[in-house]
Amino acid sequence: MKKLLALVLALCLALGMASFAAADELPTLDQIVWGENTDLTAKIHFVYHRTDIPEKLQGYVDEFNKTYPNVEIEYELITDYAENALLRIGNNDWTIMGIPTVDKDELSKYYISLGKLDTLNGLYNFMSNWAYEGEAYGIPSTGNANGILYNKRIFAEAGVTELPKTPAEFLDALRAVKEKTDAIPLYTNYAAGWTMGAWDAYIGVAATGKAEYQNQILPHAKDPFAKQEDELTGPYAVYKILYDAAAEGLIEEDYTTTDWEGCKPMLNNGQIATMVLGSWAFTQMRDAEGGEHPEDVGYMAFPITVDGKQYAPAGPDYCFGINVQASDDEKLASLYYLKYVTEQSGFAYSEGGVPIDKNGEYPDLYAAFDGIDMVADADALEGEATLLSELNSESELAINAGGNTKVQEIVEHGFNHDKDFDDIMADWNEAWSDAQATLNVEVK
Amino acid sequence: MSVMSKVQPDLRRKRINWQKVAVIVLFAIVPLFLLILFTYVPFVKMIQFSFYNMSYTKNKGFVGFDNYLKVFSKSEYVGAMLLSLYYMAGAVVQLALALFFASVLSLENIRGGGVYKAIMFFPFLVNGIAIGYIFKYFYTRGFVLDSVLQAIGFKLDSLPYWLRDQSVNNWSLVFTSVWKYCGQNMVLFIGAIASIDPTLYEAATIDGANRWQQFKAIILPGIKTVFMLNLILSITGSLSAFEPAYVVGSMGANGTATFFIKIHQMAHVSQKVGQACAMAMVLMGLILIFTVAQRLFFRYVMKDSENTFNAKANKAKALW
Repeated sequence: MKKLLALVLALCLALGMASFAAADELPTLDQIVWGENTDLTAKIHFVYHRTDIPEKLQGYVDEFNKTYPNVEIEYELITDYAENALLRIGNNDWTIMGIPTVDKDELSKYYISLGKLDTLNGLYNFMSNWAYEGEAYGIPSTGNANGILYNKRIFAEAGVTELPKTPAEFLDALRAVKEKTDAIPLYTNYAAGWTMGAWDAYIGVAATGKAEYQNQILPHAKDPFAKQEDELTGPYAVYKILYDAAAEGLIEEDYTTTDWEGCKPMLNNGQIATMVLGSWAFTQMRDAEGGEHPEDVGYMAFPITVDGKQYAPAGPDYCFGINVQASDDEKLASLYYLKYVTEQSGFAYSEGGVPIDKNGEYPDLYAAFDGIDMVADADALEGEATLLSELNSESELAINAGGNTKVQEIVEHGFNHDKDFDDIMADWNEAWSDAQATLNVEVK
Repeated sequence: MSVMSKVQPDLRRKRINWQKVAVIVLFAIVPLFLLILFTYVPFVKMIQFSFYNMSYTKNKGFVGFDNYLKVFSKSEYVGAMLLSLYYMAGAVVQLALALFFASVLSLENIRGGGVYKAIMFFPFLVNGIAIGYIFKYFYTRGFVLDSVLQAIGFKLDSLPYWLRDQSVNNWSLVFTSVWKYCGQNMVLFIGAIASIDPTLYEAATIDGANRWQQFKAIILPGIKTVFMLNLILSITGSLSAFEPAYVVGSMGANGTATFFIKIHQMAHVSQKVGQACAMAMVLMGLILIFTVAQRLFFRYVMKDSENTFNAKANKAKALW
């Protein structure tokens, strides 16, 4: 009996020790120091969406291993990333992943906190993107400032000497391109789907100049898609550009068979004049295989001017989160690797992105962004962290959340002239209002 | 009597062979376990989910039949279901073609018949996604189909944009599915036709029956079961069409979104898993209704023809 008691006691002690060890808190991203803990041994399984740059990523791993030789890092690159990540989020078969669309109040269920938001905000950009109740759960790989890709030579040939600043000027530029050159004025990339959903990125900061629009104003807005008094700003103006371009035949002829990979050299070589995509696409167009004029690829701000000023929505690309189920060593090693990727790898710069490290350098693609304010979306109001995603789900509009179909429909109706633009916007307003009513959202 | 009493005790004494039972249970347990785990448990869960307002990660509560009511109240979904009619029309054409080729290849001694069969069957072996990409280029303006049509004298200006024009794009998609499944149906038909006693044809030929009469009187009744199977598979396949519209039609863009694609979008874009499950249940219900209706219809038709056949036979017997 005594023996048994002793055994039980010993077990309890051991367990107590174990739980004590687990409670010993991990350092945060700002606390760890590069070059310490170099004997760290761990295996990291990194799930990521950049299937186009495996060598580059391996290069970072090799470089990282010079300092931390016992940390084994394995990348798993997935094409259909957003869906896959969402399905695997609760598993233990990954250590680091780009955070897919999850509700913010569930972040702590899947990811460890990287540190206090206030502290990290001082060191890095866009940390609040995946933050909840003062804790930051994801650090971006690179940042994007959204504008429009254009071909400089084609614009010059069409006689567009000054970059358009309003929807009317932009449409004039497209008309000039159609008239004077052989290029496709605006390539929609309709068939790829997500390239159409990309238009949603401009309805906030770019169309209104307000950092609060996307997360604070939109959820409470009454009829957000209605025509503004000036007709030149707001979400209405953004989608109207697309509708008008489609209606006037300023887009590709057979939009249902567009090819995403094929469009890259086409912009580069001047067969396409403009494409509405985030700045992350810039390097892909410039370095496209078969592209002979990388110097012609330019980037401009979205052509909406609010009170005499243009704004560029800036935001993070996929943010990295660390699996809450990983072992302590794996978590620590992951923190070091993320620190390396952010501060030393030069990834953001080489991708033509806005730097994440506050001391980082801006690449030259933003040359045309002189005098244009880069504004990141403000956080949702207290207690409304998940409101936008709930409205998106309820209304099925999925704004900035994969709602590609609705933007494709703008192209269809514009091109076929079978539905007025105002009717489309009225439908969206109705869906939005119904969702607000269902979720008891206060409408201001 | 005495014989019976001798036999019966024997039967009663026959023991259960435990070894045999053990083997049967052991062999059955693995597939049964997998079947229950991957088919019935998810199915029961799906029924459960369809009554809740929920996403993948969150359950927002029980909503009763609300999800079901929404399926029927939105014109968008009814429209998506009506798209199945295109695929059903395609299925009829596909079965007719398959039956035609199967009969020709079985009845006539065609040199290189095996090669034709292989060529016809090949599309079925190609992965659906690959077929999707093949057809995307096939239909692209100025590519394969347009070039071929131009070569035989059509003017490019008079040709439609196969995927862009909403008057033809669903037919384009249906064609890809016919192209894929026609060969498979044909092979099933050939198999069924091969099991018909060849002396029947000889007898029929002697009696002066032509090919059409042979087809009607010998082949058609002979392959009744396989025909029914193919028909049911094609019609239910039409109701749940997905691949062509998803891959060739750019994920159901431009008015090609079938009901199945709507379910996919509901679950993965709008993240309404409960609603998507309810839609899946409705789809299953529709498929069940169609299957039962077909069975009843054909039982009625077939019985009728069998009766007339029997009546004729009886008459003949009586005359004899």
